[in-house]
Amino acid sequence: MAEILALDDVQDATILIGKILAKKGHNVHTFTEEDEAIVFAKENKVDLAILDIKLKKMSGVDVLAKMKEATPAMHAIMLTGYPTVETAREAISLGADEYCVKPIDRDELEEKVEKVLASKG
Amino acid sequence: MVELSTQTKEQGFLKVFQKVTRLISMVLDHQQVMDTIVRSLPELLDIDACTIRLFDTGTNTFVLGASHGLSLEYLSRQSIDTEETMEMIKSGYPVAKVDLDEDPTYSDRQAAVREGIKSVLTLPILFQDSIIGIMRLLTKSKRLFSAEEISFSMALAEQVGVAISNGRMFKEMVNQVDFMTEVQKISRLVNSTLDLDSVLDTIVQRVPLSMGTKGCTIRLLNSQTNQLELVASYGVSQSYLRRGKVENEKNITMVLSGEPVAVYDVSADNRILFKENMEEEGIKSLLAVPIKVGNDIIGVLRILSETHHSFTSSEVNFAVTVAEAGGAAIQNARVYQKINLLFNQIEENERFLSDILDCIRPELLVIDKNKHVVLANKISQQRLGLSESEILGMEYNDLCPAISDDEGLCPVERVLIEGRPATYEHQVELKDGIHWFERTASPMFDDKDNVEYVIEVIRDITTKRKLEKEQLERVKLQGVVDLAGTVAHEINTPLFAALGTAQILEGDITDEEMISDVEMIIRNLKSISKLTEKMTTMTGFERKDYVGEANIVEFK
Repeated sequence: MAEILALDDVQDATILIGKILAKKGHNVHTFTEEDEAIVFAKENKVDLAILDIKLKKMSGVDVLAKMKEATPAMHAIMLTGYPTVETAREAISLGADEYCVKPIDRDELEEKVEKVLASKG
Repeated sequence: MVELSTQTKEQGFLKVFQKVTRLISMVLDHQQVMDTIVRSLPELLDIDACTIRLFDTGTNTFVLGASHGLSLEYLSRQSIDTEETMEMIKSGYPVAKVDLDEDPTYSDRQAAVREGIKSVLTLPILFQDSIIGIMRLLTKSKRLFSAEEISFSMALAEQVGVAISNGRMFKEMVNQVDFMTEVQKISRLVNSTLDLDSVLDTIVQRVPLSMGTKGCTIRLLNSQTNQLELVASYGVSQSYLRRGKVENEKNITMVLSGEPVAVYDVSADNRILFKENMEEEGIKSLLAVPIKVGNDIIGVLRILSETHHSFTSSEVNFAVTVAEAGGAAIQNARVYQKINLLFNQIEENERFLSDILDCIRPELLVIDKNKHVVLANKISQQRLGLSESEILGMEYNDLCPAISDDEGLCPVERVLIEGRPATYEHQVELKDGIHWFERTASPMFDDKDNVEYVIEVIRDITTKRKLEKEQLERVKLQGVVDLAGTVAHEINTPLFAALGTAQILEGDITDEEMISDVEMIIRNLKSISKLTEKMTTMTGFERKDYVGEANIVEFK
């Protein structure tokens, strides 16, 4: 079981991620506010962060940078509804493990999460 | 002379006088007059020798003119007679001497001894109360000249004076006529050309020829530096010409103040600076005259003689006249040279401007106020397929009939009416397709601010237009791509939530019919997902007819 943080400005998307990954036995913490998510990641153990790129105040890439500052070992999967070469390159350079395009299939999401968490050890 | 009665003596004198008069009346040249006298008198007057010397005003001395019966050595002695005798002669009195060879006051007494001269009658040669020379009658035996003989000799000397003066005047007149002819010839020659070098060369070559002198030089004042510059020479060596600055010579400064200067002996004249160089070159005398144009002195003409020469007034006048004629010709040639230079510069500038106009890519036409074409550059000639001579003078409307703006006036007409620049763009169908042209017409005003010419620049802007159109299309496409991406992004997140939830629901339910319904939801959500994927990856679109005037696009 892993501690997973999900951040998306659309609450339904975070709920969905929570449902899918909870079924796989993970403990999912969902957020729609960037600040709250960053604070949580600093104060708690987070194995994997699933971050949307387009958020309310900041970009998902900026959030990833801050979280990686506090927890460099944390894994990250970036999700976006509008993939661009620039955001993909930036996210990967900051240490993101995957860059997925919405709408991601349930099976694909589960598979990517397992793969990233497996690479932990 | 033999002792005779007074009457017989007078008859004898009359005969001699008649003979002399007859002899000298037969010759006109004063040298021939002198030669005739000195040859005839010894026999007529029963003497051994006779000399005639002429007074040279340049040196204030008596110069040998003719002699008979004397050796060259005697004639070359330093002094003619004692100072006292010479003073008497200069005062107009005859001096008869015996025993010259024994006179202790005479410095050249030994010369007289060697020549065997015993008696001398020295007579002044007068003409119009001025002494023009002396005549000396010499005997080798002691002889006392009687008062009658002296009076007769005085009358004879006066007659000689008249003859010499007449001969001189005649020669002077002949010289003047010759000089006039020469002046005419030189004037004709120098005025027959406008080439400055030819004018200068003609003068320096013809003047020494006319005057029988060695050479000639011309120096002209440089108007910018006010310095004399040697511009032409004849008959003198290069080393002589390079002797130094002659501007500082007194003769030059005198000439530059407008005064002709004749120098009899250059080796002893303080108006000459380069005496040694002149001696080396063999120059003995010179005449320098100003070269004038109106009242302005523009240079110096110097005539150089290789023999000691006392320049006569007619020679000086000749040189002055030639210098004046030359001055006018030099000025004409200089003006012509300047005009030629300016003309060449104008021609060069015109060629340069013409080359520029021909090299610039836009077509260029210049139209006068009567709408006739007065200039067309090469590019416009090429496009119109006409030669320059065909275009020039053409009616502008015949050349460009298609040009008219929305108000019915072409830009050229608008400029002619309004006096302001006007621009107009229009398209023309050419062999290789439609071309766009931009025509800019600008006014060119005369002194009274009226439009005199219109300058029309015609540019083919087809490529520019195409680029602008492509740019516009690119901007439009980018807008569509951005819009599609934004829409796809906004759809993708809720689509993700809906699709994921439907997939969870599919796994949770068992009712077959409900499973079939959820599967249909998932299938359609996936179709939407494919559409949004296309929208985020599109690079272009194709417009297609839909219904009526409405269009739809197909993503590429």
